[in-house]
Order: sequence, then structure tokens, then C-alpha cells
Amino acid sequence: MDLKKLLRKIDEFKIITLPAIFIVFILFVLILGFYFFNALPAIERYGIDLFITNVWKAAEEPAKEVYGLAAPIWGSIYTATIAVLIALPLSICYAIFVNDYAPKKLKYPLIIISDIMAGLPTIIYGIWGAFILVPLLRDHIMKFLYEHFSFIPLFDYPPLSGYCYLSAGILLGIMVTPFAAAIIREAYAMIPSVYKEGLVALGATRYETTKVLIKYIKPAIISGLILAFGRALGETVAVSLVIGNSFNLTYKLFAPGYTISSLIANQFGNAVLYEYMTSVLYSAGLVLFVVGLIVNIIGLYYLKRWREHVSH
Amino acid sequence: MTKIKMETKNLNLWYGEKQALFDINLPIYEKKITALIGPSGCGKSTFLRCLNRLNDLIPNVRIEGEVLLDGKNIYDKDVDVYELRKRVGMVFQKPNPFAMSIYDNVAFGPRIHGIKDKKELDKIVEWALKKAALWDEVKDELHKNALSLSGGQQQRLCIARAIAVKPEVLLMDEPTSALDPISTLKIEELMVELAKDYTIVVVTHNMQQASRVSDYTAFFLMGKLIEFGETEQIFLNPQKKETDDYISGRFG
Repeated sequence: MDLKKLLRKIDEFKIITLPAIFIVFILFVLILGFYFFNALPAIERYGIDLFITNVWKAAEEPAKEVYGLAAPIWGSIYTATIAVLIALPLSICYAIFVNDYAPKKLKYPLIIISDIMAGLPTIIYGIWGAFILVPLLRDHIMKFLYEHFSFIPLFDYPPLSGYCYLSAGILLGIMVTPFAAAIIREAYAMIPSVYKEGLVALGATRYETTKVLIKYIKPAIISGLILAFGRALGETVAVSLVIGNSFNLTYKLFAPGYTISSLIANQFGNAVLYEYMTSVLYSAGLVLFVVGLIVNIIGLYYLKRWREHVSH
Repeated sequence: MTKIKMETKNLNLWYGEKQALFDINLPIYEKKITALIGPSGCGKSTFLRCLNRLNDLIPNVRIEGEVLLDGKNIYDKDVDVYELRKRVGMVFQKPNPFAMSIYDNVAFGPRIHGIKDKKELDKIVEWALKKAALWDEVKDELHKNALSLSGGQQQRLCIARAIAVKPEVLLMDEPTSALDPISTLKIEELMVELAKDYTIVVVTHNMQQASRVSDYTAFFLMGKLIEFGETEQIFLNPQKKETDDYISGRFG
């Protein structure tokens, strides 16, 4: 009798869920540790130079191998930044249109389409980017800018193939826009109606009202963009197809480049042939891991603060 | 003889298929306080929102009849709704200061209505905050975020914000229901003070409040205006049984 009572007090679901939580946590720690452990030989050998120089000398004799990841690290940050700059206006406009202007019949289809686009396999963006977007950008935008505005250093690299930082940034921008837009759209819809009415009741026009409302959700916009930045950093396949894959430490938009993830995807196959390359790629992965972690934590923190701010 | 500032004539309102207001004929006298009372869902807030066309925001609302402001129907096609809302201001149930500084909250209305001059704005902000009895509490921290104020202060800020555009009519939708008794008292004193210059229409759940502050009272029930008259008469000598039942607390 007493045993039965005791058994009833046990919350089975709590017990069932514990192993899953435990596994997730352990996996996280193990992966981080695994990366660190495998990166160690390269970090020990090259020191800080591994992250701040731009060299890639693969040699069969380990003594002649020299690597520096500055270009791909820069490329990841640069393309993700371009992506966010593109996603910023697009996602804000989208969020406002869906909430305020879209006719009811269009509103839900639009939301569904953008959610599907956010979840589309990235290879689909990659192929579309490589075959359609890149030639289009090269022939209609890059060539024009190069011919007429090459006195601006940003534009003075000859756009030969079109596979470059700009293409990767724009493609990433298109890819992360639905994601950022979903966060901003949700935040915009969460604005208390009494707040909007307060503006309207003062005689504010629709434009004036919206301007204040955008300012109101600024924390959510920032967090949406930070999280989008994190996504863009990690994106691999699509970027590999359009960035040109070469070690170029430059801000010139039309130059081909590398990102950390495209570097790993491209080099992993033959890394085993060399003594240190695998470890170097792990180091690159570790950088991505740490940067991604920081970016996501900041983004989620902002988002949480915004939600608390609205719901109080 | 007091002048009629606003007046509704055979005002009907539907939310989609559901009729929420039935043939409301109500005069609103200039520089008086008119209280709208009645149980929840009786249409008093809906009615209030017809007076500055705030119901325009809600889809599927249909309105028939007239709402006259100085004899002119505010639902006429040639009426500038933004100008109308400048003349007919509003204070809401829940204090809703904007997420900006105290100063910018009050200056928001004047700014969108074309006042750019810094000195003039300074003057309006000070004037409005003094009128709303908030100046002494905030004059040294005008650039602090308005959300850091207490609930009662926020509501007085909202009143300052509303009167900063110099409206002629001030609509108040249960302005004290979210406030503590002391803040409530302050707002009520303020309403009486403001009625010297403004025409005030206040929706209230609080019968004591209606009897304390208002000059006229309108009793609504299920979308209909049951009785309208001077507050004293409504409370001491109601003509309709429903009014009597409500104010003596037999329902609602």
C-alpha cells in the first residue's frame, strides 16, 4: 500500500525526459571538446598565426606545411555582414506589409511561403545562385559598377567569373531574410493594440504610426538580425557554390573568397593526405563554433529581453 | 444655456453582422463632463470610439447615422480624419506612453501637426505637463524614458500628451481603472480642472466617479442609450427602471 503511494509520486515523464536532456547536454560538451582536442596540434604548432595570417601551403613534408585562416575567417564575417545589410530592409518591409497592408487572403499564403523558404534545403538556393543569380549579378550589376565606379576601391576588382564575396553575401541575404522576417513579423504583431491606438488617436498618419512602431520593436529587429547573422555564418553548401573558393583577404566585393564553412567543405576530402591540414580545419571549425555560439547567445538574449518587455 | 459641442444622431454600429449600437441620440455639452456608464459590453466604449473615428481601425465595422462636431458630420467624406483626431483627443484605459522620453511623448502630437520650433515645443511641453499636474514631478528628468514613471504618472503623461495638441474635446476611456485610489483621485481632480477649458467625455465603471466628477450622465445597456440627463437627476431621480436598478447595484 505504502509502496503504491510512493510509486504514484514518481513523475514518469520527468524520468523519461531526463536521458534525452542528458544526451543533448553531453553531446554539446563532447563536440566542443572533440573540436578542441583535434584542433590542438595545429594551434600548438602555428600559435596565433593560424588565425591572423593568410597562407595555405599544403606540403607532403609536414615541416613545410604552413596554414593561416585569416581569409576564410574574414570571408565568413564579411559575407554574413553583407547578408544582414540586405536582409534588414527586406525583412522589415515584409513584416510591415504582412501585418498592415496585405489583404486577408494574401496574408496567410505570404506567411506560409516565407516559412517554407526559410526551411528550404540550402542546396536549392546554391544551385539557383550558381546558375541564375551569379551570371545575372555579373552581367548587369558588377560589370556596370566595375566600368563606371571602379575608382571606388570596393568595386575595382574585375568581375571575371562573378563568383565572389558579393554573390555569396547577396545569396545569403536572400536565404536569411525569411528567417529574420519571421522574428520581426512576430514582434510587430505582438505590439499591444493600445500602443498603436495611442498614436492614431493623436492624429498620426499611417506612415507616422508605423515609424514609431518600428522604433518600438527595435530590440526584436536587432535580435532577428543577429540570429540571421549567425545563420549566414554557418551556411555552407550554397556559399561554396558561389563564393569562388580562393584565399583572398580583401574587402573588394567582386573578388572570389572563402568562408570557414566553404573552406572545410572544399578541403576536407584531401586533408587526410597532409599531416596538419585536418587539425587546421578543426581549428577553423572551432572558430565558427565559438563565434556562432556567441552570436546566437547575444541574439537570443536580446529576443528574450524584448519578449519580457512587451508582455509585462 | 450651454452649447452643444458634439452630438450623435441615430448612430448605429455593427461589428460584422452583430449590431453593437442602436439609434444613439446623445448631446455632449461644451466644457462639461459627460459620463458614460453601464455594464461591461453595453457599448459605451464603442460609442466613445465613434467620436474620434478610432473604430476606423477595426475591420468590418459599419456605421450609420451622424456624429456632429460643431454641427459638422465627422463621417463626411471631406473630413480630414487626422485633423479630427487633433480636435478630439483621447486617453486610454491602460496608460500607454510611447517608448521614448517624457519630453518626446508630449511633443509627439505637436510635432506631427507641424510644430518644429524647439522653443515653441519646450513651451508646449511645459504647459501641457503643468496642466496635467505632472510638471513638478518630472521637470528635472524630461529626457528620462517615460516607461520608468509610475502608473499614475504615466496616465497623467498620457493626458498631457493628449492636451498638447490643444484638442477641443477629450475622450477618456476608463482612465483610472488601472490605477490605485490615490492616483485615481488625482486624475479626477484633474478632470474637473480640465473641464474649465475642454469638453470631456468619460467612460467609467465606477459609479462614484461618475457622480463625483460629471455634469451629465448617459446610461447604456446592451447597445442602447437608456437614459441621459444631468448627473444629479440620473443618480437621485432616475426615470427608467433599468437605470435605477443599475445605479442601486441590483445588476452590472
